[in-house]
Amino acid sequence: MRVGHKIILVGGLPITIAALIALAGWLLLAQADRARGGAVLAGAIYRTLTLSTTVRDEFLAARPIERTDHAERFARLTAESAGSLDDLRRFARTPDQASRIEAARAALKDSIDQMQALVRITRENDGLIAEMASRADALVRLADQARDRQRAANTDLVVSLTDKASTLRQVRDVVGAVNELRALVAQAEIEALRDGGRAPSGMVQVRNAARDLAAALKGDRREAEAEELLILTAAYEAWRGGEEPGLVTADGGHARIVDSSLPSPVNVLDEWCDRVLKIDGSAQRALHDEVTQLLSYAVQANETEQATQNIALETLKLGQRTAEALRRRDVPAAAAMLEDGRRLSETAAALPISPLIQGEMIEAIDGWRERLGTTVEGLRRQNEGIAAMDGLAAVIGETARSLNEIFIDDADRFGTFLLRLLLVGAGAGLVLGSAAALAVARSITGPLRQLQRSMLALAADPGRREMGAGDVGAEVGRRRDELGDMARATAMFVEEIGRRERALRRAKEEADRTLAELRQTQSDLIQAEKLASLGQLVAGVAHEINTPLGIALTTATLVRDEARDFREVAAAGQLSRSRLTHFVDRMQEGSHLLTANLARAADLVHSFKQVAVDRVSDEHRRFPLREWLGELLRSLGPLLRRGGHRLELEAAEEFEVDTHPGALAQVITNLVKNAVVHAFADGTPGTITVAVSREGSWVRLEVRDDGRGIAAADRERIFDPFFTTARHRGSSGLGMHIVYNLVSGQLQGRIAVESREGRGTVVRVEFPACLAPAATARAAMAAQ
Amino acid sequence: MPGMDQRFEASPRRRALRGLAAALAAIWLSAAPAAARTLVFCSEGNPESLNPQLVTTTTGMDAAWPVFDTLVAFEPGTTTIRPSLAEAWTISPDGRDYTFTLRQGVAFHRNARFRPTRPLTAEDVVFSIGRQWRADHPFHGVSGGQYAYFRDLGLPALIEAVEAVDARTVRIRLREADATFLPNIAMALGAIQSAEYAAALAAAGEAERLDREPIGTGPFSFVAFQPDVALRYRAFPDHWGGQPPIDSLVFSITPNAAVRLAKVRAGECHLMPFPNPGDLDGIRADPGLTLMREEELNIGYLALNVTKPPFDDLRVRRAVAMAIDKAAIVTGVYGPGGTAARSPLPPNLWGHDPTLADPPLDRAGAQRLLAEAGYPSGFEAELWYPPVSRAYNPNGRRVADMIQADLARIGVRLRLVTDEWSAYRSKMLAGVPKMALFGWTADNGDPDNFLGVLLGCVPARTGGSNIARWCDPTFDALVTKARRVTDQGTRAELYRQAQAIFRRELPWVPIAHSAVFVAARREVTGYRMDPLGRHIFRGVGLREAPGSRAGTQGGAGRVP
Repeated sequence: MRVGHKIILVGGLPITIAALIALAGWLLLAQADRARGGAVLAGAIYRTLTLSTTVRDEFLAARPIERTDHAERFARLTAESAGSLDDLRRFARTPDQASRIEAARAALKDSIDQMQALVRITRENDGLIAEMASRADALVRLADQARDRQRAANTDLVVSLTDKASTLRQVRDVVGAVNELRALVAQAEIEALRDGGRAPSGMVQVRNAARDLAAALKGDRREAEAEELLILTAAYEAWRGGEEPGLVTADGGHARIVDSSLPSPVNVLDEWCDRVLKIDGSAQRALHDEVTQLLSYAVQANETEQATQNIALETLKLGQRTAEALRRRDVPAAAAMLEDGRRLSETAAALPISPLIQGEMIEAIDGWRERLGTTVEGLRRQNEGIAAMDGLAAVIGETARSLNEIFIDDADRFGTFLLRLLLVGAGAGLVLGSAAALAVARSITGPLRQLQRSMLALAADPGRREMGAGDVGAEVGRRRDELGDMARATAMFVEEIGRRERALRRAKEEADRTLAELRQTQSDLIQAEKLASLGQLVAGVAHEINTPLGIALTTATLVRDEARDFREVAAAGQLSRSRLTHFVDRMQEGSHLLTANLARAADLVHSFKQVAVDRVSDEHRRFPLREWLGELLRSLGPLLRRGGHRLELEAAEEFEVDTHPGALAQVITNLVKNAVVHAFADGTPGTITVAVSREGSWVRLEVRDDGRGIAAADRERIFDPFFTTARHRGSSGLGMHIVYNLVSGQLQGRIAVESREGRGTVVRVEFPACLAPAATARAAMAAQ
Repeated sequence: MPGMDQRFEASPRRRALRGLAAALAAIWLSAAPAAARTLVFCSEGNPESLNPQLVTTTTGMDAAWPVFDTLVAFEPGTTTIRPSLAEAWTISPDGRDYTFTLRQGVAFHRNARFRPTRPLTAEDVVFSIGRQWRADHPFHGVSGGQYAYFRDLGLPALIEAVEAVDARTVRIRLREADATFLPNIAMALGAIQSAEYAAALAAAGEAERLDREPIGTGPFSFVAFQPDVALRYRAFPDHWGGQPPIDSLVFSITPNAAVRLAKVRAGECHLMPFPNPGDLDGIRADPGLTLMREEELNIGYLALNVTKPPFDDLRVRRAVAMAIDKAAIVTGVYGPGGTAARSPLPPNLWGHDPTLADPPLDRAGAQRLLAEAGYPSGFEAELWYPPVSRAYNPNGRRVADMIQADLARIGVRLRLVTDEWSAYRSKMLAGVPKMALFGWTADNGDPDNFLGVLLGCVPARTGGSNIARWCDPTFDALVTKARRVTDQGTRAELYRQAQAIFRRELPWVPIAHSAVFVAARREVTGYRMDPLGRHIFRGVGLREAPGSRAGTQGGAGRVP
């Protein structure tokens, strides 16, 4: 089996197991999730239903006009619950759950129906209650009407009574006047009888009484009767006044004499009085009676009105009590009000209430009672509906709650199962995977280790490569798997490495040799350079020394000549004093010149010696820089003379440095020489300035020229070895390279070039005033 | 009316319209329960019964008219017969067979105890007549068993058979032709009651409720009766004649005319009968009231019980007649509506003998007659006077007062006695009083209704309305003969002879005939005075009362 397959096996097994577990877990989780979703839904249903029961209670407690909102809210909630129950069916896993959900749905549907019935009943009841209220209002209105009517009736009664009373008074006046008249007539008759037919004295009174009676009759608007009376009285007066006894009748008011057997005028008058008394007496009685009746009617009417008010009041009270009972949904209390209403109705029927409204009142009360009966029935049904709804709500709630629990249990069970599955699966996967991995690892590591050993052996002893090539994978190489491939590849690799190594070794040796030759060449070149510069130095020094020495030689020659002359003179004895003095003076002058020029030569030698020593010595030492520079630059004089260039030293102060003077000299020499060679066009004298200054522990040394500058392209390559723009003039291209090496090496400093074409070049060298000891040592070493 | 063969039918379309109107009215009513329209009639007294078969007074009949219908009825305002529950009838050529076809679908009222299961059938007619007619009828003895009027009209003897041919056909066979039969059964005693209700009550052992809580087919159903207070009715929306224009009808029982008028003025009542003659001018002057007058067929009289001493003596009766100053009574009590009576028949009824003269007012002659009769110093007697206003006697007490004064002059000392109206009436019919003021209003427009009912020998028996108990065979023969004859001239002659006998024998002192008056509030519509003295409220409505709250405060607040 190939390692890849093994790795697939080793990796795949746990992955497969994990995948299986994951799949199972996913399924279980989905189930658990479903169960949990069911539980949540069931819980939500339970809460919604609880809320809907509250809403229903609010519906019942609300004012009639506000009920609709609650009813709608209930409908919304129950519709939501129904929807949730429908949704919940999807979560049902077992038939038990499904059947419970079905039961809950059926109960919910019943509940909704019940609520609809309840809403209907409540609406009816509200309507009935409103109608009852309107009937009670009607009663009060009727009572108010009755009172208003009663007030009007009272006014009328007063008028009627006043009329009757005045009529009564008139009738009484008539009756009184008639009685008065009768009494006076009777008295007159008695007098007449006593006095024997003579005219009695009281006739004037009779006449007056008759006039009074006539006035009373006229007051009663009975003018005809008054006329009649006056005629009758006149007849009586005439008859009694001594005339022939005649008879007068009251017939039509025309007196006529009739037969003597007919009644006398006194009788006629008396008869007339009797009649008036009879009629008016009965009228008086009747009027009395009427007044009494009217008075008792007035009293009774007011009592009636009071009774009406009482009934209305009672009804109002009853209405309020009933409304309260209805509000409390207290069926027995409301039913008791029915009985009260019946009593009230009977009372209203029994009381002498105005017939105009009694029927309406009784009808209002009866209607009220009837409505109350219906309402109480409605209330009972409502209460039943509520109880039924409560029962249903309990059923649904219980179902929802149990479903919730079942679903939660389900979810928990799935969770537990999942956990176990995970543990077992993970364990099994671990064991299986480990075992497989171990076996596979062993089958892989064995050959690998062998290979490793072979490789190590090969590494330790590359010489074994002849054998190694065959040996590495000799065993493994027979395998057909990746290890075999690897062993074979390794063998080939080892062989290749061996071949390359040999080639490399040969190349290296070649290179080493070349390098050595190169180094030799370089050092030869540098040495040559150094020697060249030394040579230049020597030439320069020789030139310098040549002058004093020439002078000294000339002087000496002169002195020798003088002396020979003097000796001749002296010898010649021609010696004169002046001649002596002159000789002495010449000797003195000659010696002085000799001394001076020889001293100068000696100095030059001395300084040359120092420079030369420095040039060849890599010793570092302490020396005053300005002075040293002066000497160095002097030694460079010949270099410049050819072109006519000036070399200036700028050194503000004298200070000592501890560095390699040889290296420094070489650097300055090269830089100056470089400037002389490259900076100036032929025939154009320039100025080269060597400026030195101290920057703390560092020394800055600048070599400036006012020449043509360095092309930008060349600037970068200026320190490269063998780079030169003047090879045709014999430049080796090593000068600047050597400068760079010396600065960065022995001087432990740094170098920079600034140049702009046509504006001159500044080479700035900075180096420590005092070499670091280690650097010194290293520099010393490097110098070797 | 022998040989008469008439058919009367109400048009079916009109019936349908009426039904529609009733339905619409019912809808309107149910929509506005509070706007009940109540007509209040200030009636003058308690009905003696709520069963019209048991009553003889107009008061009692008035109480029955709203509840009951008869087979045939008087055209309102006239004495013409028209169809009622019987929409048609035929009379056999020999005048003895009456076949009535009943109106279809006539609904009975219902009450707390009874809900009718069927409309009117022939059975109900048979029951209603049978109860009065046959002594062996199960209901005959209920509520006293006194069917005075039925008997006084001679109906028990007249009717030979009453039978239901089918549900809608009733045949009544008479022993002999009788011109008064249709007018007689058009009276309140012809009211048709529910046999079904009677059977239900009998089964419950409460047969008397039939007469206390009546069920009829009339335009109003009975609600309640509180003696001395009120009678209440409710409109019957299913009435075959259509829904009444008002919702309820109340008879507010108010015996005193002044109080009645006060109530009418106050708006407590809409209508009142029998105003005080003295108040007529005031009523005419009141812009809120209308005074209606009808020349009614009536007679007020003083009955002298000829079976009881001293009035068994014609001389005493003549003495009394001669001593009463009738003119003073008419002037003082009846006022301008009254006419002194000389005959039992009112002058505006055919058959009245205008030549009949009163005995002269002669107190001395009266005293002489009394002395002849053995009462030289007079005697004592009770005079009964009606406690309530009647058309024929607006104020019984005043008439009694004046008679008392008149008779005192001839030594007859009267004690005035009265009783509550229905009790008074019972005493009258029982023949208790020796002297009684009473009267009569025609229940049909026939002279027989006076002479036969009030003075015949049949009603002279106990319980009859001949309260003088005067039975003169000659008179009775003449009246009975007149009843059998159809020719009015012949009948008038017979009645003239009968009146002469009456004039001679003086069982009554006829006092007066009176025009009757009804005072009504202006908002009352559709009320018609009845020549038969009835107070009928069919079709009576109420205009939207312009001043319903303070209707009596004069014309100022009234919209014209």
